[in-house]
Amino acid sequence: MGRVAISLARRYYSGGGVALTADRYPWVTRAPHLSRIEDKHVAAFERLLGPSGVITEEEQLDGYNTDWLKMVRGQSKVVLRPKTVEEVSAVMRSCSEGKLAVCPQGGNTGLVGGSVPVFDEIVLSMSLMNNIIKVDPVGGNVWCEAGCVLEAVNTHLEKFGLMMPYDLGAKGSCQVGGNVSTCAGGLRLVRYGSLNANLLGVQAVLANGDILDCMSGHRKDNTGYHLRQLFLGAEGTLGIVTGAVISCPTLPTSVSLACLGLDDFSKVLTTLRTSKRILCETLSSCEVMDDTCMDAVANKLGLKPPLGSHKFYMLVETHASNPQHDGDKMDAFLQELLACGDVEDGTVASEPSKMNALWQIRERITEALSRDGYLYKYDLSLPHEKFYEIVHVMRNRLRGVKAAKTVSGFGHVGDGNLHLNVEADAFDQEILEMCEPFIFDWTQKNGGSISAEHGIGFKKAKFMGKYAATGKASLSTMRAIKTALDPNGILNPYKVLPPA
Amino acid sequence: MEDYKFLFKVVLVGNAGVGKTCLVRRFTQGLFPPGQGATIGVDFMIKTVEIGNEKIKLQIWDTAGQERFRSITQSYYRSAHALILVYDISCQPTFDCLTDWLREIEEYASSKVLRVLVGNKIDRDDREIPTHVGEDFAQRHNMYYLETSAKESDNVERLFMQIAAELMEQARSKELPRYDINSQNINRRTTTIGDSCCSRSS
Repeated sequence: MGRVAISLARRYYSGGGVALTADRYPWVTRAPHLSRIEDKHVAAFERLLGPSGVITEEEQLDGYNTDWLKMVRGQSKVVLRPKTVEEVSAVMRSCSEGKLAVCPQGGNTGLVGGSVPVFDEIVLSMSLMNNIIKVDPVGGNVWCEAGCVLEAVNTHLEKFGLMMPYDLGAKGSCQVGGNVSTCAGGLRLVRYGSLNANLLGVQAVLANGDILDCMSGHRKDNTGYHLRQLFLGAEGTLGIVTGAVISCPTLPTSVSLACLGLDDFSKVLTTLRTSKRILCETLSSCEVMDDTCMDAVANKLGLKPPLGSHKFYMLVETHASNPQHDGDKMDAFLQELLACGDVEDGTVASEPSKMNALWQIRERITEALSRDGYLYKYDLSLPHEKFYEIVHVMRNRLRGVKAAKTVSGFGHVGDGNLHLNVEADAFDQEILEMCEPFIFDWTQKNGGSISAEHGIGFKKAKFMGKYAATGKASLSTMRAIKTALDPNGILNPYKVLPPA
Repeated sequence: MEDYKFLFKVVLVGNAGVGKTCLVRRFTQGLFPPGQGATIGVDFMIKTVEIGNEKIKLQIWDTAGQERFRSITQSYYRSAHALILVYDISCQPTFDCLTDWLREIEEYASSKVLRVLVGNKIDRDDREIPTHVGEDFAQRHNMYYLETSAKESDNVERLFMQIAAELMEQARSKELPRYDINSQNINRRTTTIGDSCCSRSS
């Protein structure tokens, strides 16, 4: 074992104090048929990738083993950093022969523990595959490698008057491969649609090392099964996404952003309707956050609240091509809100500095809530009339639980996607049991989905059997696909599908 | 449903630093925020006032004074019922810019908009523009005139209440012959000043 051994004493002191997944979630057991990594494997990887492509130093492994929310921590002893699809292919061929499990990792910004190993899976970091291959300014498509950071692609696209069709709070770190693998939604889905529509091509390395190339990038291509769609939301369990073709909308030349203060959730819903009716084709985002979220970003991050105190705040954004047209529509929208009394006060801007300051408030909520303790996060699709009810339900349910500090909600109200948060001083088993499966049951009973855009990952895999949106046949079909593409179960095991 | 008879939009314009935000804060919240940063974009809020037992909702729009922040601000003038043009009585350049502001108002606001010239900061003892100069300017350009101090709360209430009263008067005189609850008046709205004022009863 030698260099890859990890001492028991370190087990509890490294990783920033985050408990090992194997200890915190004792119901999950290591798949016995998977091999354990040995020095000979490491040497083989070093031959394939060069010494700089293989990381085995313990201090460097922590970041790859621990997720961003600090709720799961794996025990991988090796991180591989391939630079080309051929290298990924060689790695997978080798892992397939040796029955070594692999956990692909992008920016490691996932919120369901999908991007870090559960046990000793090899971390396959895509960070060095970060070339933007080409841009077609006429068709409006970008070809890029999986490790490209979302923001870097966006900056590159600006030169062509284009933009990525999705925007996430994690844009500075998250990678396109991870975005595809989780079918990322984000702030502008209400306008530009999901990756189901915008992903025009995928390149992936299969479990056996074969390279699947579907990178033609045609907007329309009906030659057989739509294989690229298989990798959307597959979270690395069907293949390693190494490249993507994304359809990019035109960069707007006029952008306005209004922040509104409202005192009742029913007014949030009427404002959503009003925004669709009046802003119509220019509406590019419609977000909501409650007062607990605003207090957290104000108190913990020191961001200045843009308005006086309200129960709810909305951000309504427009993307347009003509500043006067944009301003006129925004004015008509705001007039209507003030006239009907849904909004008490607000602010509207088209200056990038101010719009950015407003977006920061929305995008840094999770950072603020998870700053001083442990955050239980739930990502639910719900019918609009039920959207905020679960926040009240959970506040009542956790009233007597001392360790629970706050319950809050924010999210993409335009898409019916709530991010529900329970904030605690530290991880607490009682809170976990009060939340799960209660929240999933409640969501199912009310016609929702237990994963709107964060995926299943490790955290929700065990609930897939009961709560997958579409019954038994869908689960057995998923298993059939998994078995066909990954017969040895080496691709991101313990994720997405529940234990058989 | 909310119960109010009139809804008017009042927009404040004028150079940066003349005290537009402080006038609004004083009127809506009764505060004078020291060290107020420059407004970027446009802030808006509702303040309900009562005049002779009638509830009047004022939408108050506080705009950025700095030129570089004025790109789409003009869109928000068009539907205004009243424009308050503010200068600082202790700062000549803010007075000198009034003609530029008037040009912008002519271009973007409704021709029927109620215009009020306000000389703010009368609490200061380094006055540069005498009252009669401000008054003359207002008269020449067909504007109401008032001097205020947001800091000392001088004339702030009066400024907004007079605007509300005047707009209500205008609305009534135009509206009376047409105001008929039995007429075909969907949404219970009637056009009053300009073409975009709504008057409701419920």
